[in-house]
Amino acid sequence: MKTLTFHDIERLSAFLDGQLRQAEKTRLETRIKSDPELAATLDGLHQARSILRRTPKRRAPRNFTLTPKMAGIRPPVPRAVPVFSWASAVAALFFICTLGTNLLGQFSFGAAAPMMAAQPMGVGGGPSDESLAATEAAVDSGNAYLTATPETYAMTIPEATATPDTRLVQPPETSQEKTRQPVNLWLVFWPGLAAVLVGSALLIRWASIRAFRRKISPRQKP
Amino acid sequence: MDEPALIRAAQRGDLEAFNRLVLTYQDALFNTALRILSDEELAADATQEAFLSAFRALNSYRGGSFKAWLLRTVTNACYDELRRKKRRPTTPLEPETEDGDEMESPRWLADPSASPEEQFDQADLEHAIQHCLDGLPTDFKTVVVLADIQGLDYTEVAHVIRVPLGTIKSRLARARLRLRECLQAFGELLPAAFRLGKERGA
Repeated sequence: MKTLTFHDIERLSAFLDGQLRQAEKTRLETRIKSDPELAATLDGLHQARSILRRTPKRRAPRNFTLTPKMAGIRPPVPRAVPVFSWASAVAALFFICTLGTNLLGQFSFGAAAPMMAAQPMGVGGGPSDESLAATEAAVDSGNAYLTATPETYAMTIPEATATPDTRLVQPPETSQEKTRQPVNLWLVFWPGLAAVLVGSALLIRWASIRAFRRKISPRQKP
Repeated sequence: MDEPALIRAAQRGDLEAFNRLVLTYQDALFNTALRILSDEELAADATQEAFLSAFRALNSYRGGSFKAWLLRTVTNACYDELRRKKRRPTTPLEPETEDGDEMESPRWLADPSASPEEQFDQADLEHAIQHCLDGLPTDFKTVVVLADIQGLDYTEVAHVIRVPLGTIKSRLARARLRLRECLQAFGELLPAAFRLGKERGA
């Protein structure tokens, strides 16, 4: 009994699966009839294949369907979302600017120099006697009156001096203050800065979108 | 809806259409993974991973057998799992000898409390096949699982594991030869219909 080569085994396996050409198949069939060892090997391979084909099939332990989250599918984004996001950014920027302007304004004008009390005018343009008396009383009661804020000013005036005429001794007139205020540059600076920033952001965005479009659809060279 | 229509819909991002394909092929993919990995948990993970990869790469499907295309994804997932397993080896479930070697004999199948007839049921046959498959190198095991258990032809198997047709023939022949010897060793433990004789007609 001669020993089979691996080439024989390979051909027997292919013969089982009908993978041999007709001429080769006929030649092998002739050999199988005359060679019991070849026939036994073929039988063994055939049985092994039959057993494998009858391997019990298991049912999947669970369903393997995908959820949108697993598949990484996100709901479509509304078209207006980018506009809203830009609007939010601009609004936030202006809010910060406004807040900054208010704070700076408070620091700049909150400690303004005290103003002299306006004098009620008498006949001929001079101060009246009552008003002079009231002024003296105010001077006597201390400098606090002069440096006090309008609210505290009104609260600290003694009742004795708070005659109807003393109503003329009012906190410093803000109209005079206003006329002397310089133009607040911060009110111009912040909106200007915001406009520059937003403009830059839009320019950058436009440039990136253009670059992306070029990347995904490169121009075809002639 | 027929399969090509479902595939086209899934390629357009229709997850429901893809899930219908999943339900059709999940048993085939799970069984393939189970035979290659020999572990239910790992096989389930590999199957899930395969379907996820398949959905992501669905636009690369260019026709042909969809089952074979899916089996390729699960085979790749199994190879990944085996590589991971190799890096982090776990304790084998099969019994070991006192020297720490894994038992080669099928004694682990024997259950003294059960009758011989009960031992010849499907579960025993499955265990015998799985035991013999586990004795094969992974490349051989994959070919024999795809060809003989999943019923793919040589061309489809070559497409799944991306090797030449000649290599498929060679690996399949070697795998069948080794499986025949292994199954013969089980002898009486196999159901009568599946016992392999050493001689033709035995």
